Amino acid sequence: MGRLLRYVVVRALLIIPTILILYTLIFIILRVIPGNPILSALGTHYVPPEILKEKMHRLGLDKPLYVQYFDYLWRVLHGDFGESMVIEGRSITHDLAYRIPATIELTVWGFTVSVLLGILTGTIAAVKRGSRIDYAMRVYGIVAYTLFIPWLGSLLILLFSVYLGWLPSGGRLDPSIDLDRITGIYTLDSLITGNIYAFVNALKHLVLPSITLGIVLSGAYTRLVRSNLSDILQADFIRAYRSRGLPENKVLLYALRNAMIPIVTYMGLQLAILLGGAVLTETTYSWPGLGSYLFEKIQYRDYSAIQGTIVVFAFIVGVVSLIVDIIYALVDPRIRY
Amino acid sequence: MASKRRGVGKGALVAAIVIILIIVVGAVYMMQGQKKAEKVVVIGVTDKITDLDPANAYDFFTWEVLSNVMAGLVKYDPDTGKIVGDLATNWEVQEGGKVWIFHLRKDAKFADGTPCKAQDVVRSVKRVMKIQGDPSWLVTDFVDDVQAVDDYTVKFILKTPASYFLALVATPPYYPVHPNYPDDKIASDATWGGCGPYMIKEWVRDEKLVLVPNPHYYGEKPKNDKVVITFYSSANALKNALESGQVDVAWRTLNPEDIKDLKSKPNFKVIEVPGLYIRYVVIKTDAPPTDNVLVRRALAAAVDRNEIAQTVFKGTVEPLYSMVPKGLWSHIDAFKKYGDGNIDLAKQLLQQAGYSEDNKLHIELWYTPTHYGDTEAQLAAILKEQWERTGMITVDVKSSEWSQYVDQLRSGQMMVSLLGWYPDYLDPDDYLTPFLASSANGWTGTGYSNPKVDQLLKQAQTLTDQNERAQIYKQVQEILADDVPYIPLIQGKLYVVTSENVESLKISPLMFLLYDTIQVKG
Repeated sequence: MGRLLRYVVVRALLIIPTILILYTLIFIILRVIPGNPILSALGTHYVPPEILKEKMHRLGLDKPLYVQYFDYLWRVLHGDFGESMVIEGRSITHDLAYRIPATIELTVWGFTVSVLLGILTGTIAAVKRGSRIDYAMRVYGIVAYTLFIPWLGSLLILLFSVYLGWLPSGGRLDPSIDLDRITGIYTLDSLITGNIYAFVNALKHLVLPSITLGIVLSGAYTRLVRSNLSDILQADFIRAYRSRGLPENKVLLYALRNAMIPIVTYMGLQLAILLGGAVLTETTYSWPGLGSYLFEKIQYRDYSAIQGTIVVFAFIVGVVSLIVDIIYALVDPRIRY
Repeated sequence: MASKRRGVGKGALVAAIVIILIIVVGAVYMMQGQKKAEKVVVIGVTDKITDLDPANAYDFFTWEVLSNVMAGLVKYDPDTGKIVGDLATNWEVQEGGKVWIFHLRKDAKFADGTPCKAQDVVRSVKRVMKIQGDPSWLVTDFVDDVQAVDDYTVKFILKTPASYFLALVATPPYYPVHPNYPDDKIASDATWGGCGPYMIKEWVRDEKLVLVPNPHYYGEKPKNDKVVITFYSSANALKNALESGQVDVAWRTLNPEDIKDLKSKPNFKVIEVPGLYIRYVVIKTDAPPTDNVLVRRALAAAVDRNEIAQTVFKGTVEPLYSMVPKGLWSHIDAFKKYGDGNIDLAKQLLQQAGYSEDNKLHIELWYTPTHYGDTEAQLAAILKEQWERTGMITVDVKSSEWSQYVDQLRSGQMMVSLLGWYPDYLDPDDYLTPFLASSANGWTGTGYSNPKVDQLLKQAQTLTDQNERAQIYKQVQEILADDVPYIPLIQGKLYVVTSENVESLKISPLMFLLYDTIQVKG
């Protein structure tokens, strides 16, 4: 147990340099690209030079770069992501805290859709191995993996929102609906407050974004499930089950359970890709999460907001990977730590 | 046998529970849905709100929102376009335009019932002067002091007489704000508002703004119960939302192609509004080759505005021949003397400047790809084509992102560049002084300076007679067309697209949507 604890501590400590490297990279990139956040927000409006100078001073943009670097780092270490460069007095910590639940809600649903779709298509392909259906599923796997989220999203919006009018084209909830915010995860909040109308509406808004994200991420699962399940279906113990006359659906269930071990590991690894996909999905569906926040702030060159979002993304990925590693270390006896 | 019966019983029970659950949930859903019978107007925009504080807000859309939740001393009448009293019932001008005294109405109140008095106006204006936010110059450049003579009388003492002071007073930095706004700090997300027709019920930055009528508003009651503004990341997303019925009014800004497409669909209404928004070319006048006025004139002659309006903007804009837009008093078509796509004249001017088909003029044309929408690259491409038609010009098209672009502009790094302008206040001065006065170089980077123009603009500022001012502005526009530090290109029309159930809607002369006039059927 002592060794496991040491492993966990070392692994947790490794998150710090990861975040630090990312923060440093993003800090440098933002400063290397020419352009100034204050001028960017002002655009062509006339503002006397002395006011601009005073604003630069107030936001610390006139300080040497290394001072700006450590100033922000010091703040982040204290859990303060600073103040927006574009919106006076706006706390980035507040913004991030507000946006995180939307991204969690989308990623959880998108992830669920991707796993279900992946298992379904992969299983069909493995069971019907060598047939036309197998071929079709394999093509699905490759095509889904290579689809571009904004393209697929626009297509689904055109079909289901614009032409058929079945589902909303974006947002999280109809603007006319009042919902008390508790967790910020609308499907949960609506259930907690007993607001069924809002729950159904939130679900409707989730359908297209989660399907878009789900389809794109499911391609990898399709291929993984197919290859693992195909191997297992030919394993000795499966042959033994069959020879004892076990019904085929039960055999398949046992096989699938065994095929899931490497897939679960892959789920943990998918997180970074999932968050990346969420950025694109959120911008396509006007979903007010961390991804669309990052996208908007990049346009305004809002240094503190961009840095803060990247640090939070890095932290989430780091922590989830750590959890996956720990679970894996506990579960799989082959892992040495 | 017995176990089978038990199995059937269990199945029936589960089915019964599921059916009951569906019925209950369905009933609750229907009941909760029926409660939403209030008249809600959903407005979709791609613009953003910067600061809900008039001391720092300095963009078109935020000013629109502020003008709906706050009230000024004066406002523009949407029907006549003239400035009329709002919080002020009447006013007097003394000392040749140096002192302005406003008499306030006594029934104005903030949304929480607090009376709105002269002291609130004074505190709010002084607050703008103290905070020194982005639009503060609209106050500090003109106002020396502001005083409350009594509870309902406000006195402004100006630095120098400003003939268009009423137009300035109609802008948000002069709006009285609720006493909760701190005196020395910007409150970017403040929802206390002012004493306008609406109050802010909910504000989620970049997601939605919910407005409900101010119960203490002195004017006519709004024609709706609630206005929800939803923010979209792209024109495409906004159009989808309109077509799928999520928004009732699609406002700023849809793409020209989208407007054309929506015009052809019977279930949408496309309302066209003459806009005071202008697009123009900025030319650096203090470095070769564009320091030669003949070169600048040649560029102006070769531009074909009609082609730009039709090809790039699909007829959603109008050609513009002055920096002062058509429809605003004193406008003259100063640039018409060069003609449109006048290649012969352009060639002649270029020859005089020493250029030929063997010795071509090299122009660097800059544009920014996203800030002005998807049409910008096309606009740059067509200008290149038009100038190159002379056979004596080669154009190198370059682009940079908005934040870098404005930096380059201010520091005068671009030879020829594309820009746009929305008015701060409705007066020809706002289309001339910020561009042509020598002080304008702080942001335009043209290097243009003409003492005669400086003197004329200063003179027009102090005159109170509109006819006299108009004469001076016409003279300035003629000098502009001679010196060509800018080439006016087009004047935007504004488009509001609504679903067919939107019955009435008005836009103020400042091009702000008046939310209280929007009525949705059913």
